[in-house]
Amino acid sequence: MSLGLVVLIPYLGAVLAAWVARFGRLHSAWVAALVAGLALAWLLPHAPTTFAGATVVQRLAWLPAVGLDLAFRLDGLALLFALLILGIGLLIILYARYYLSERDSMGRFYAYLLLFMGAMLGIVLSENLIQLFLFWELTSLASFLLISYWQGREEARNGARMALAVTGAGGLAMLGGFLLLGEIAGSYELSVILASGDAIRAHPLYVPMLVLVLLGALTKSAQFPFHFWLPHAMAAPTPVSAYLHSATMVKAGVFLLARLFPALSGTPEWAWLLILAGGFTLLLGAFFALFKHDLKGLLAYSTISHLGLITLLFGMGTGLAAVAGVFHIINHAIFKAGLFMAAGIIDHECGTRDMRRINGLWKYMPHTATLAMVAAASMAGVPLFNGFLSKEMFFAESVHLSAGLTHGWLLLVAVVLAGVFAVAYSLRFIHDVFFNGEPVDLPRTPHEPPRWMKVPVEVLVALCLLVGILPAVTVEPVLAMAAASVLQGPVPPHDLALWHGFNPALLMSILALAGGLLLYAARKPLFVLADRWQGRLDARALYQRLLQGLFALAGGVTRALDIGSLQRLIALFVASAVLLGAAGFLGGEAPLTGGRALLPVDGVSLLATLGLLAASLGAVALHRRRLAALILTGAVGLVVSLVFIKFSAPDLALTQLSVEVVTVVLLLLALYFLPQRTPAESGLARRGRDALLALAAGGGAAALAWAVLTRPYESIAPYFLAQSVPEGGGRNVVNVILVDFRGFDTLGEITVLALAGLGIYAMLERLQLPGPDRDAEGRPWDWDTHPAIMASLTRLLLPLALLTSVFILLRGHNLPGGGFIAGLVTAVALIMQYLANGAAWTHARLPPNLHPVIGWGLAVATGTGLASWAYDHPFLTSTFGHFDWPLVGEFELASAMVFDLGVYLVVVGSTLLILIYLGLMHGASHVLRPDEEAR
Amino acid sequence: MLDNLLAFLILAGAAFTFIGSLGLARLRDFYTRLHGPTKATTLGVGSLLVASAIHFSTRGEGISLHEVLVTLFLFITAPVSAHLLAKAALHLRLASLAPAPEEEAPARQGDASPEER
Amino acid sequence: MLSVVIPIAFTLVALAVALNFWRLLVGPSLPDRILALDTLYVNTIALLVLLGIHLGSALYFEAALLIALMGFVGTVALCKYLLRGDIIE
Repeated sequence: MSLGLVVLIPYLGAVLAAWVARFGRLHSAWVAALVAGLALAWLLPHAPTTFAGATVVQRLAWLPAVGLDLAFRLDGLALLFALLILGIGLLIILYARYYLSERDSMGRFYAYLLLFMGAMLGIVLSENLIQLFLFWELTSLASFLLISYWQGREEARNGARMALAVTGAGGLAMLGGFLLLGEIAGSYELSVILASGDAIRAHPLYVPMLVLVLLGALTKSAQFPFHFWLPHAMAAPTPVSAYLHSATMVKAGVFLLARLFPALSGTPEWAWLLILAGGFTLLLGAFFALFKHDLKGLLAYSTISHLGLITLLFGMGTGLAAVAGVFHIINHAIFKAGLFMAAGIIDHECGTRDMRRINGLWKYMPHTATLAMVAAASMAGVPLFNGFLSKEMFFAESVHLSAGLTHGWLLLVAVVLAGVFAVAYSLRFIHDVFFNGEPVDLPRTPHEPPRWMKVPVEVLVALCLLVGILPAVTVEPVLAMAAASVLQGPVPPHDLALWHGFNPALLMSILALAGGLLLYAARKPLFVLADRWQGRLDARALYQRLLQGLFALAGGVTRALDIGSLQRLIALFVASAVLLGAAGFLGGEAPLTGGRALLPVDGVSLLATLGLLAASLGAVALHRRRLAALILTGAVGLVVSLVFIKFSAPDLALTQLSVEVVTVVLLLLALYFLPQRTPAESGLARRGRDALLALAAGGGAAALAWAVLTRPYESIAPYFLAQSVPEGGGRNVVNVILVDFRGFDTLGEITVLALAGLGIYAMLERLQLPGPDRDAEGRPWDWDTHPAIMASLTRLLLPLALLTSVFILLRGHNLPGGGFIAGLVTAVALIMQYLANGAAWTHARLPPNLHPVIGWGLAVATGTGLASWAYDHPFLTSTFGHFDWPLVGEFELASAMVFDLGVYLVVVGSTLLILIYLGLMHGASHVLRPDEEAR
Repeated sequence: MLDNLLAFLILAGAAFTFIGSLGLARLRDFYTRLHGPTKATTLGVGSLLVASAIHFSTRGEGISLHEVLVTLFLFITAPVSAHLLAKAALHLRLASLAPAPEEEAPARQGDASPEER
Repeated sequence: MLSVVIPIAFTLVALAVALNFWRLLVGPSLPDRILALDTLYVNTIALLVLLGIHLGSALYFEAALLIALMGFVGTVALCKYLLRGDIIE
């Protein structure tokens, strides 16, 4: 599973990089570089096979019943992208080590960067569409974390949010598209999908599916109209911009286009959608790039424009256009990353990115200037650099396409115009930054950056030159391999030479170069015009308005339904339940009473029921005297447990009793800070309405219970009763269900309990509330904090209670009991010590170190589940055996008992945590009088 | 013989339980009501538990210790509950047929003298 | 013999429970109600023990044990609340 490892290594590396930062800042950089290198080393052995044209697919079955496997695919396109990601990634890691200042946390940065790297590798190496979507969303998340790296800056936070919103929405659309595509093709595996292109294109659902998938690709690659998030993402540190927002993440969209090219392309819809979107973006991006005064803004719009170019190429749909598209992906990644890094160096050295202020840097940093000039020349499409070659192919393909269209010359004009702008803004980048006079008002004096900070740029620039001058030797093998997997067939013959003779493409290149020079020379009046029009056409304003409208709508709906009154909410809830129930019941034709014979009632049950009725009514009648109502509720709880005993459910009775008392203690802890009496607030009409509602709800529930109980019904009980001993190894069916049959559910529940306990602890940890120093009637409290009789006798009870609790825990599997009840009993026994002897006394003997208890409980429970993996069984399979011990005799042990122990520990820990910290909230509300002492 | 013993114990136990609760219901003031449940009911339930212990022990399954544990619990906790309830009643200055005792708090300042209400 | 005695015992204890409920609802002061609740717990133990003898099953003793423990804790918590307000100090 080495491909899976290639994806996994960066994730593990991310954790390691974050951890290692505590030993020194630079350790994270070393770890990150090592991790990227390791991933590369793991990938390279597969390269020869892929170069030969074979596709490697590795699969790990995960949920075969649903068709979900972990499947990885390495073909030419994937290898190309993986090399780009890892190679440029290594360079960025080196660059970032020098770019980040002393105050920036390197551990966090490299961890996020590696997270992103792993997710991006996951996209390109995925064989399964749903898996691809998973990694797609992970890149959005990683990008969010990286853009908002400088958390204190508001523009960074806004930019990150915007990027996440747009790419997330696109991702959701893409998921819909993928689901449709999977249904159309019959499988989510790319091997199947890429082979059934004709069937997909002929399917009636092709167009909606195409639109959804393209939404995902276009949002990620910042195409019109979803382009507006990319310039705002420039608030990220420059290494992030260089890596994500020029070389890799935004390429994910065009990667998707390339990947699905054989399956989806070739139809007019594909062509028109992509040509229009790509063409428009190409022009728009280039146009705006010229008028940006921010270095990174210019580069961002330039990226948008070049991505539009690639999209346009894929839209054309021919084989050569696809080859040109892949070629431009390679070239653009190389020169754009280099340019961004150069921009970062300039920003780092000068302290500003405003090109109007930065001038004449040539004499301060000639070496950097040379490097930047080469990269910018490549961006403009100057011969001898790599950008020229792919632009030539692009022009040639445009000529080819326009020949077949009615108004094809429009396309040619647009393309040349875009080329003109490209030359103009590249020229601006170089001229306005490195020449054009003296620097104006810079925060610091620029000089050459550290040696190693330039090395990544040097590497990339060298590649630009090499590919530009000797394409057939350097890039042709890689390009052929990648193009072969894009087209899923033979690659059309193409010649990457520099000179093809005088053809229209060359003419267009010359036109573009000349036009760009002229435009730049005449730029001043245009800049003035642009500054005046600034901000009028702003997609961001539209986005803001849309968001505000959405929030207003949500707020309005919430305010209409929820006025902040709990009574109102409950009334709505109960009324809806009553209406729905009545509608369902009255609509049917079954009589209320079913056919089962009724059982006779005995005196004791009747009496207990009457007592229950009386106590409940009493609680309602006395509800404004809160303590009295609480006592009556305690009585109700007791009778309910008696009811459980009558219906032979001892486990439930035990649980009910324990929970009842814990609830009483909890309510008393809260009642201390609350008024002892409820004021009379509701009018007669309101009370009448509530009484009617309550009667309707209660009556309805009773009628429902009556209807169900008087009918015979099939339940799942016989299965459990029959299987409990042979399969579960225990005679207590309830307990066996909890820890064995439905063990996974119990594991989830104790996790929730642990989280609740920890959440409450987090809220209460430092909360100190003043309590009343007199009771409700104005009497001062009693002087005796811990009456001696209670204190000493309760200490006696502790061992007995603990003995009971352990006994209940151990025998839970065969007789009434179990981990939950035992946990509650232990918690109550310990709380009793707090009640009787006080917190100080108890803490001196038993420090409230409850977090490890909860942790161990969860670990034991999960460990029991994982242990069954070691024996090749699914998670949480239990086993049991009979053991013969010398004195005790035959003894039956089930592994579910260890699970029960985990449940026990979690319950004890969480309950004690909640109760103790609620109890310690009072702070210094009782000022100890001179005669009192804390005993 | 055993049967008679059991019957006697059960009957006595139930009777005392009833008497205890009757006292709780009928007596006129809290401090007198306190005696019923804490003493008579405890005796009654204790008797029932002894009956149960004998019953299960003689059925041939070995000596049954559960009831002993329950009895131990009851006998330890009943006095404590009674004590605390009495303290609470005194603190709240409930109506009492007999005169309330002198309050014994050491060096209390500014409290009203115990009064009969 | 037992078959005659046990129903009588049940009746007596049931009446005791009824009287407890009466005191619970009527009891003019809070300690009255707390006492009634505590007695209710003890009478329930009596009921369970009788049930155990009647059915010949030892299944309900844990419930009785738990009732004894829990009832006590409930009573202590309520009384301490009346005395000091702050039950865990």
